[in-house]
Amino acid sequence: MAIPILELRNLGREVAGRGAEPFVIFNGINLTVRDGEFVSIVGPSGCGKTTLLRVINGLLSPSAGQIFVDGKEQNGADGELLMGFVFQGAALLPWRTSLNNVLLGLEGRKKNTPDAQAIARKYLDLVGLSGFEQHYPHELSGGMQQRVNLARALAVDPKILLMDEPFASLDAQTRSFMQLELLRIWSQTRKTVIFVTHMISEAILLSDRVVVLSHRPGRIRSEFPVPLPRPRDMEIKSDRRFVELENTVWKLIEEEVKAAGGFAKL
Amino acid sequence: MLELYKKNSPAIHKLLSIMCGLAVWHVLATVIVADSSFLVSPLAVAAKSYEMLFQTAELYPHLLASSSIFFYGYLLSIAAGVPLGFLMALSPAVRDYVHPWMTTLYTTPRIAFAPVLLLWLGIGAGAKVAIVFLGCVFPILINSYYGMRVVNREFVELARSFRLTRLALFWKILLPASVPFILSGLRLALGRGLTGVAIAEWFGATEGLGYLIFFAGQTLNVPVLFVGVTAFALLGILGFEILRKVEEIATPWRKKLQT
Repeated sequence: MAIPILELRNLGREVAGRGAEPFVIFNGINLTVRDGEFVSIVGPSGCGKTTLLRVINGLLSPSAGQIFVDGKEQNGADGELLMGFVFQGAALLPWRTSLNNVLLGLEGRKKNTPDAQAIARKYLDLVGLSGFEQHYPHELSGGMQQRVNLARALAVDPKILLMDEPFASLDAQTRSFMQLELLRIWSQTRKTVIFVTHMISEAILLSDRVVVLSHRPGRIRSEFPVPLPRPRDMEIKSDRRFVELENTVWKLIEEEVKAAGGFAKL
Repeated sequence: MLELYKKNSPAIHKLLSIMCGLAVWHVLATVIVADSSFLVSPLAVAAKSYEMLFQTAELYPHLLASSSIFFYGYLLSIAAGVPLGFLMALSPAVRDYVHPWMTTLYTTPRIAFAPVLLLWLGIGAGAKVAIVFLGCVFPILINSYYGMRVVNREFVELARSFRLTRLALFWKILLPASVPFILSGLRLALGRGLTGVAIAEWFGATEGLGYLIFFAGQTLNVPVLFVGVTAFALLGILGFEILRKVEEIATPWRKKLQT
């Protein structure tokens, strides 16, 4: 079998708690992702999805376990640039135009300027923003800001794209359009994606595999391959297999919420 | 006519406000107080200013003296305040050492230091610049420190996710994010610096607008007193306008946010 692009072995993270006991956010996470796979991570609020994504990227250090990319163990944020991170709040620098925001990651790799410019323009075009190169973030809508956010992460040509609830702050309609856009962009780039979301239907629509985390401390509760053909569109949401999977995942999450002490305790 | 008003309403409002203020002042001086040893009309101040600027030319040395003291004190404050503020934001140790001094000196009235500084540094420019410096440096220091501390956490994560060096993090993220805060520190420091000039020149100066006001007050020369006050006010306005221009150039992305 080929070496997986990403492998998490027994990964855990805990922080200092109120008492003597440490506060365990998640532990015992084992996950293998193959090259080009789109994996979504869903789970009840506060199960550590976002933290897990930050640990994978090296922004936070794990308390236990190992992370392998292409079989090579990773050592935090000082390592090589192998992953692109798409932030929940877009995190666009307000003093930079769209083009210069996309260039940020390329500047870090000391690429020569005309080359980098062409790359940045290419990815802005890919996300449908050609013509908006010289716009500042405050001149863009929420959906457009997320497009720049995505283009910026893609521009460094990462092995793995980590997406942290990128559509959470968008209105329902824009969100649906952005999901379709992501399907299109993914089919054109075929990146390996780890996608964190609250929204089960979003996870199923986009992914090859949906991973369900348990309530805190987060563990992998279950994994489901998505048995739906690509290319997909919104109509697939009424497919019997889609609806069944959505119900199954929802029941699991409901159980987790109950086990956590009910919705009010989240 | 209405169209013209709609287009320029902010400017028209400001102009009307100033005219009304001057009119009230004029009526107060000529009708209600009606005693030129207490209060003179803005017209008299204008006439006196004209005389001191274009006939006797006696205002220039005072203007020059005050402006240069302010200029040096302000520049020194920026040169010291901005880097020290950054160091405080970046190093917890520096922050711990500087913080108690910052809060103590910032809240102590500067006028209390004036005689001491004059005693140490003499009545030359040194003491005056030092008084202005004491007034300006803290708002600049505090805003530079604060501006760099409150940089969006996601921006720092963004730099780390792209594996930028610490130097690149500073130049590409932390510094530009702090610029708006530094600029508001500069605005606060402007008023405090001009007050510092007045205080410095009240204590043992032989020229300067502060000296002019102080001397006019002692000799009950009300028109000259008002000329001095007006000159301070105009210097303040000039300073604000320059800062506004600097802000426009340094932070073009904020232009739309303000209007």
